[in-house]
Amino acid sequence: MPDKLYVLNLIVAVIFYLPVRKIQASQVTQGVTSYGVLFGLSVLSEPLPLTPESLSVSINSAKQCLHLQWTVHNLGYHQELKMVFQIQISRFKASNVIWTENYRTTVTRNQVLHWSWESELPLECAIHFVRMRTMVDDARIPVPRFWSNWSSWEKADAQSSLGDHPLYVFPKDKLVEEGSDVTICYISRNHQDNISCYLEDVLTYGKQLDQSVRAFELKNVSFVRKTGTNFYCQGQGVTEGVVLFVSEVLEEPKDFSCETRDLKTLTCTWDPGDDTGLVQLPSYTLFESFSGKKTLCKHRNRCDWQVTQDSQEMYNFTLVAENYFRKRSVSILFNLVHGVHPVAPYNLFPKNVSATNATMTWKVHSIGNNSALLCQLQLLGEGKVIQQHNISVRVNGEYLLRELEPDTEYMARVHCAYADHFWKWSELISQNFTTAEAAPSEAPDVWRDVMFVSGHPTVTLFWKPLSKVHTHGKILSYNIVVENLDEPSSLEMLSVPAPANSTKVTLNQSSYQIHVTAHNSAGPSPASTVAISGHPGNENVEEGRINGTEDGFPMSWKPQSRNATGYVVEWCDGPQNLPCAPQWRNLGPTTTGTVISSGAFRPGVRYTFRIYEISTKRMARLLEKKTGYLEELAPSYNPQVVPNNLTSHSFTLSWKDYPTESQTGFIQGYYVYLKSKAGEKCHRGFEKTVLPDNSVCCKYTIDNPDQKTFVMKDLQPESVYEFLVTPYTSAGEGPLDDFRKVTTPDEYSHILIHIILPMIFCVLVIMIACYLKSQWLKDKCYPDIPDPYKSSVLSLIKSKENPHITIMNVNDCVPDAIEVVNKPEGSKIQFTGTRKSPTETKGTKPAYLDLLPAEKNYSGPGPCICFENFTYNQAASDLGYCGHFPVTPQAPHCQLGPLTSPENLLKTLEQNYMNSLGEIPAGEANLNYVSQLASPMSGDKESPPTNPPEPALCSEYKMQMAIPLGLASPPPSENSSLSSTTLLDPGEHYH
Amino acid sequence: MPPSLAVPCLRGFCTSPHNPQAPFCLLTLLLPPLSLGAPTSTAESINQAYNLALDMQMQTSALLQTYLEHQGTPFSDPDFSSPGLSLRTLPSTDMPFEIWHGLEDGECLSLTQEAFWSFSQHFQLVKDDQSDLNPGNSIVVDQLEEARLKAKGLAGNLAGIMTALDLTTPPANTPLDSVPLGDSVFERKCRGYVIIRDYSFWTDRAVTFLGELKAKYSE
Repeated sequence: MPDKLYVLNLIVAVIFYLPVRKIQASQVTQGVTSYGVLFGLSVLSEPLPLTPESLSVSINSAKQCLHLQWTVHNLGYHQELKMVFQIQISRFKASNVIWTENYRTTVTRNQVLHWSWESELPLECAIHFVRMRTMVDDARIPVPRFWSNWSSWEKADAQSSLGDHPLYVFPKDKLVEEGSDVTICYISRNHQDNISCYLEDVLTYGKQLDQSVRAFELKNVSFVRKTGTNFYCQGQGVTEGVVLFVSEVLEEPKDFSCETRDLKTLTCTWDPGDDTGLVQLPSYTLFESFSGKKTLCKHRNRCDWQVTQDSQEMYNFTLVAENYFRKRSVSILFNLVHGVHPVAPYNLFPKNVSATNATMTWKVHSIGNNSALLCQLQLLGEGKVIQQHNISVRVNGEYLLRELEPDTEYMARVHCAYADHFWKWSELISQNFTTAEAAPSEAPDVWRDVMFVSGHPTVTLFWKPLSKVHTHGKILSYNIVVENLDEPSSLEMLSVPAPANSTKVTLNQSSYQIHVTAHNSAGPSPASTVAISGHPGNENVEEGRINGTEDGFPMSWKPQSRNATGYVVEWCDGPQNLPCAPQWRNLGPTTTGTVISSGAFRPGVRYTFRIYEISTKRMARLLEKKTGYLEELAPSYNPQVVPNNLTSHSFTLSWKDYPTESQTGFIQGYYVYLKSKAGEKCHRGFEKTVLPDNSVCCKYTIDNPDQKTFVMKDLQPESVYEFLVTPYTSAGEGPLDDFRKVTTPDEYSHILIHIILPMIFCVLVIMIACYLKSQWLKDKCYPDIPDPYKSSVLSLIKSKENPHITIMNVNDCVPDAIEVVNKPEGSKIQFTGTRKSPTETKGTKPAYLDLLPAEKNYSGPGPCICFENFTYNQAASDLGYCGHFPVTPQAPHCQLGPLTSPENLLKTLEQNYMNSLGEIPAGEANLNYVSQLASPMSGDKESPPTNPPEPALCSEYKMQMAIPLGLASPPPSENSSLSSTTLLDPGEHYH
Repeated sequence: MPPSLAVPCLRGFCTSPHNPQAPFCLLTLLLPPLSLGAPTSTAESINQAYNLALDMQMQTSALLQTYLEHQGTPFSDPDFSSPGLSLRTLPSTDMPFEIWHGLEDGECLSLTQEAFWSFSQHFQLVKDDQSDLNPGNSIVVDQLEEARLKAKGLAGNLAGIMTALDLTTPPANTPLDSVPLGDSVFERKCRGYVIIRDYSFWTDRAVTFLGELKAKYSE
């Protein structure tokens, strides 16, 4: 009914409006309308004003907004009319209009209308004036339409509430978005102040708006810190400021998605983006449009939504992020069963684990009304998925895993997804298990090394550990069964605990088969068989050479029998001269070549490969032997060369100890280097070469590696040579830094050696003989001096008539002199064998042997009384004369003999004695003794000695000495230096 | 002769006819004489209060520096100073040096006790302001809380000394009313600065005063 009334009124109004307008057009004035007349239908003659009424203006400082509030009266009850309100805002003064806006809205009777206007200039900094007017803007009202009168200006003055502080800065604590523009102003009560304003620490210049107001437009403000950006102004001792809180722009939530884990709760997640940097965090609200529900999210990035029991499947979610400045929203349409993300299963365990099978069991969380889940069971070995099975599960899952490897560790893992509609796998759960052991699946790879000790074969068996795929468990031992083929009943068995990989078996000279099996806890492996002959095989095969390559040692061989069951290549990884376990490789019967490679192969090491042919009886027969280097190297050292047979023109070099087998390459020969200081030309066969140190030397090449001696010929005697012998391989020669020196001897040295050595030998023989025959020699050559008291002469004399006659003791007599008188007449000294002829001795004066100082002016070492035993005058002896004393013609019997034998001596003495005592008269005596004890003074008192005698010298006998005949025979000079002999003139003598 | 409360804090100004603090002097005359023969616990209390004040004095500089560093320019400028800023609810720092030293010990004790009680309340205010301003940063807030507790503790110590000396304990301190400079964040930053600055002034004053009191009562 009311609607009908309203339409009726409107129609009536329209019917009557036009005539009235026409009639009363002249009455319409600004600010007065006749609509009221029409609507009221009461008083057509009085137009009712439609100006806004009760206009009030309030200030919201926090938001810097002017809030307008007004009403429009005169509208009919229950009637709505679209109207436009034109609002004007002035600043500082009413005439300074800064804003005009038309606000359109539908108005009802007595409705309080609101309108806000945000000022870019803080409202505290200026007085604002507001006024408005209205106009009907309803299509039902035909044009033309007219504005009502303006309302009166309403004043908005925020300054009036300020205190009396000299300086104010506005707006306070304003929130702004990064990148926006902000206007800040200050009000200074004291116009004289010089006020400076800073944004943080940057001086900012503003625009003077009024006498006391200055505004600063800050463009594109940026985030500084969470505690806000300071803007402050400083006057005279006054600091006032504001803090701008700059927020980073709120981002739209990204990756917004929802899912459910149990069909009871939905969880929506999103990426909220960067923090806005404000204390006031943005809010996140989740709306669901179908149900019209919403929830305020407790987290920035996640929101939970309870699924109701009304079986709603589709959801239209809108996530609204909102902060002070803006809203951001993102929507998704979500089907509940399409977003099921089940919770991870649990209790995953292996069951009935055997060597090759295992049953895995697990449980899942029920979802919805026991909906089925699709679970995926994965089996991982060594980190890789090797089996994958999909199983439909409601509560309990179970699956039998097959084809597993024995004794292997596996990981089983399972995850589940909603079976009706796959959305996402649950989290994985995993469980490790190990399968049981099984007997090894393959026979061990066995090889043997046979050595014959005292004719008995000693077999060392080697085997390689089985690979993990074949062991099927931990190998505990290796069983060796030795079967004597000649004695079938003889069977020997031994067990070698793992991890040994060899054992030694001593056999008889029979044929054997040896079976080797590997055992683990589940049983033995298949047996590996080798056959051993009781007799040594043919090891003398030709040794060939092979060259190593980057890939190893390629080799090939010629099959020797058609029924070979295979071939084995055996080698040693280490150098030949070191003991090592053999390496081997089994090859098929059709194989005639292979490449042996090993990480242990090194350049410069000689490797020997033996190729065996395996017969049907598992007997190995050596086919070929190959030797080679992976890479030949130059020799690392030179042989120790010994030079021998050194002569003046040659020497021999020898290096027979040099082991060619253990070198770093095949020795192809040797270079002999020779350096000579003379730098002469190289000998024949040598060639001149320049060494790395630029020295020149001669080089001889020995191209036979077995020649280990070399004769260096045609050398110069007494020359220094330097030589070096270095081997060479295909890779080069040895080091050239160890030259040795050798010096050739002179040519005659060998002759001297040939003479001197025999002579020395003869002398030694003579000396030894003399030593052995010393007594005999003494007796013959220098017998003891005969003692007169013991002489047989004495007994002879005593036996004669005069018993008083005794032997004169030398000590008892005091001889003054021994005078030898040489009678001139008829006497003639006969010399034989002397250099002077008798004619030369003509005029020779008589000789005296004087035991006293002969002359007054004697200047010798002193007078000495000596007794000289002229018996041992060597000259006399040699010459056959009795001393050098004057020999009278009456003493010819002194010739020869007397000194050569005791008998002669005795005779001589006897004759002399007899002559001196009896037969020779005093005046004719030839020999007089001069007392040795007599003082020289006593002999010659008138002539005192110029040199007194020295008792020490005089108390002893002078040594017997041989006086050469020459000294006695020539005419003595007066100044003769003889101390004890002086040759005087005949007739002159001294006492 | 034992000193009495009639004895000025340092030098007597009561005798001066122009002493503006004359009413205080008259008041102090009414108080019972302070005997030097106070029990050992009094001396210990004074010593304890002195040590606490000394510790507070040492921490004040760091507190002020930390606070200003977190407020941004101009507060964090090296030579920042705003002597014109003041807070009427804070204990006065205007009393001239001579007048302060002319006060009786009891009066000085009373004023100091009131001052630190007031500071403890103001620190709570600053702490709340800073918590609102920057909830994630606890450095400033923690130091302010420490200063608040110490100020409150010193006020308690001083009250204990006054009780021990039979002086009238100041009336129960009422909570702060509206504290100015709270209209904007900038003002609250300034307010915190003023509170810490004046707190520094009062700790200096307390150290000096308590040092003298300690010397006096340790004889």
